[in-house]
Amino acid sequence: MPSSITTPPAVPHPVLDTRYQVETPEGIDLLLRPAGLVPRALAFAIDLTIRGLLLLVLFIVLGLLGQFGMGLATVLLFLVTWWYMVLFEVFNQGRTPGKQLLGLRVIHDDGTPVGWAASLTRNLLRFVDILPFGYTLGILSCLNHPAFKRLGDLAAGTLVVYRDLPIARPVLPQAESLRAPFALSFSEQRAFQGFAERADSLSSARRAELAAILAEPLQVPAEQAEQQINGIARGLLGST
Amino acid sequence: MRLTDASVAIRPRSAWEALDLGVLLARRHAGLLMASWALVTLPIFAVLCLLLWESPGWAVLLFWWLKPAYERLPLYILSHALFGDTPSLKQALRALPGLLNPQLLASLTWRRFSLTRSFDLPTLQLENLSGQARSQRLVVLGQRDAGAATWLTLVGMHLEMALWLGLISLFYLLLPQQIELNWSWQSLIDAAAGDWLWLEHLSNLLYALLLVVWEPVYVACGFTLYLNRRTALEAWDIELVFRQLRQRLTGVAYALLLGCGLLLLQAPSPAWAESASSGPLPMEDPFGPQSERLLKQPLSSQAARQSIEQLLDQPPFEHRETVTRWRFGEEQQTEELDQGTIKNLLKLIEAFFKLGEFWKTLDGVALFFEALLWAAVLGVVGLLLWRYRDWLSTFVGRLGPVQRRTSAPPSQLFGLEVAPDSLPEDVASEVERLWAEQPRAALGLLYRALLSRLLHDYRLPLKSAHTEAEVLQLVQGLEQTELIDFSQALTLHWQNLAYGHRVPPADSLHSLCAGWRRQFDGGAPA
Repeated sequence: MPSSITTPPAVPHPVLDTRYQVETPEGIDLLLRPAGLVPRALAFAIDLTIRGLLLLVLFIVLGLLGQFGMGLATVLLFLVTWWYMVLFEVFNQGRTPGKQLLGLRVIHDDGTPVGWAASLTRNLLRFVDILPFGYTLGILSCLNHPAFKRLGDLAAGTLVVYRDLPIARPVLPQAESLRAPFALSFSEQRAFQGFAERADSLSSARRAELAAILAEPLQVPAEQAEQQINGIARGLLGST
Repeated sequence: MRLTDASVAIRPRSAWEALDLGVLLARRHAGLLMASWALVTLPIFAVLCLLLWESPGWAVLLFWWLKPAYERLPLYILSHALFGDTPSLKQALRALPGLLNPQLLASLTWRRFSLTRSFDLPTLQLENLSGQARSQRLVVLGQRDAGAATWLTLVGMHLEMALWLGLISLFYLLLPQQIELNWSWQSLIDAAAGDWLWLEHLSNLLYALLLVVWEPVYVACGFTLYLNRRTALEAWDIELVFRQLRQRLTGVAYALLLGCGLLLLQAPSPAWAESASSGPLPMEDPFGPQSERLLKQPLSSQAARQSIEQLLDQPPFEHRETVTRWRFGEEQQTEELDQGTIKNLLKLIEAFFKLGEFWKTLDGVALFFEALLWAAVLGVVGLLLWRYRDWLSTFVGRLGPVQRRTSAPPSQLFGLEVAPDSLPEDVASEVERLWAEQPRAALGLLYRALLSRLLHDYRLPLKSAHTEAEVLQLVQGLEQTELIDFSQALTLHWQNLAYGHRVPPADSLHSLCAGWRRQFDGGAPA
């Protein structure tokens, strides 16, 4: 086994990323961000707590109603155990309360909203993931799958992803808007924008250091490079 | 460290996504990480077990306590592998003593219970910080992702528990039944008494084994969390793009310079033109697209803009609707709970309990609902059976007895009346009587009578679609030799007469009639 490890790989690995790409029939690439074990475990713990509390309250309240209440409680126990996840996932855009808190949602592999069949499959197969005790198979499968799927997800063809939250409008530092003196690719434009947007979270020394990288191509002294980059970022943003 | 060599995509991520990246990183180097972890920890575990054979609890506690010491090796491997310099197993193991040296005591004592252990470790090991510098650095790093690091440790603890219980139950499930019989739960609980020391050591071994799987992931997650924090703090992603941009532009500039030099040798003027075009572009319109233009044209830019805005305000581009909904009125009273409301509340609770008592007396209601639910279940089952009856019948038909599916026996076969009441009382004598004038009618009557008996006495499922030969095959299924012989002889004669117009000899008629009497009039069939 060590010998197989020590030999350096002939082909370099592709760059590791947590994104999962789906191409729509229209040729648009959807970038999904599958969620891994830790947030999913937390979401499950929250859901488990909610269900536990719900059942506790139900049993106390319905216990007052005698036999009828206990019958009703049994029916509700069934519903809460087996349908809690399914109903929330189908009717609440793939989000149970726990997933909603953690910013997760369930979708099909192709990015479409999760349906009845897939949701039922993935939740009924929890009983396979639980085996032999305490989600052992689910944990191992989740750790070993590139898109962090447990067995139920594999069978149902579903994916748990991070929801895209609305982005707050970034505040750019004040600068006179400029036009870039050279053509910029999309990722380079993004980097200029990112430099201006994240100015607050960077130390001033680091900002100067980063800007100095581009001082030579921008044909300005290193001290003015930062202002120049901010200006170009503003120019890229257009009139607002 | 060269960012361009990084084997992961560098961009600022959310804390959770950074953890996910750690899982992927550990997965890519799983073989090396797990092998090195196992080679380091399992011998230590074995030594601890041997030393503390009498108290397995202490052995596993010590093993657990030493976890921060082992965690330095996976971090060493990962930090090198991140920039493409993956060490071999031998190199990694050789580096281990050097890794253990700094601040081991602190890691194993007062920092042992830090919940952000994996997140803090890179500061110590990769940045070589200690004391004041280290704590300042941790404050800066911990401003944002420390929460995720804490959750990682908490989830990790539960995960270890879950995996451990899972492995133990798997082990229990895989025991052969003969052994399992002797192992009642009672004796397992008595394990503390000391008879089951090896069993406890076995379960400790399972813990050591599951750490081989989980700990590299834990360290990798902390490491990527640290990377993510530094990416955000130092804008690594921007630096990466800026450096590439500079390389591209200055590379172009070098190429241009070279081109200039080459061109200068022959024609200077185009070279100057080239270099001019690489400078900043002149501003073409100082006022931008918003300024008023085309003022002397029939359609000025201002008028065009107005008509565009008007168009954009109309239906295909603009969709307005008024939504009217009911809403709760604004609560005006914000009085505090005074005595009266508390009393009211108590009354309400009392009334609620009374309602409960009342319900208890109504167990009949429960019975009613129980009946209703059962009726609903039965109804649904019935509905399903009815809905899929055709599909089910393909299976059930083979299981059930054949007779159940036979419909009422036909009254006619091959155009012959076979109903029992259409036959005379004494068939054989009637046949003998008819034989002289109408041999065809006589033999027809006999065959008809045979079919009728087969249908009603032997319950043979004859249909009007059967031919004579098929009827004979069915008769053979009854496995009564005499009946088969008789039917074969009769059918042969009947076919000869009916289709071939060949009258059978008279003595065969007598044998047929005798056969009939023996078979049917003698009360043979049950």
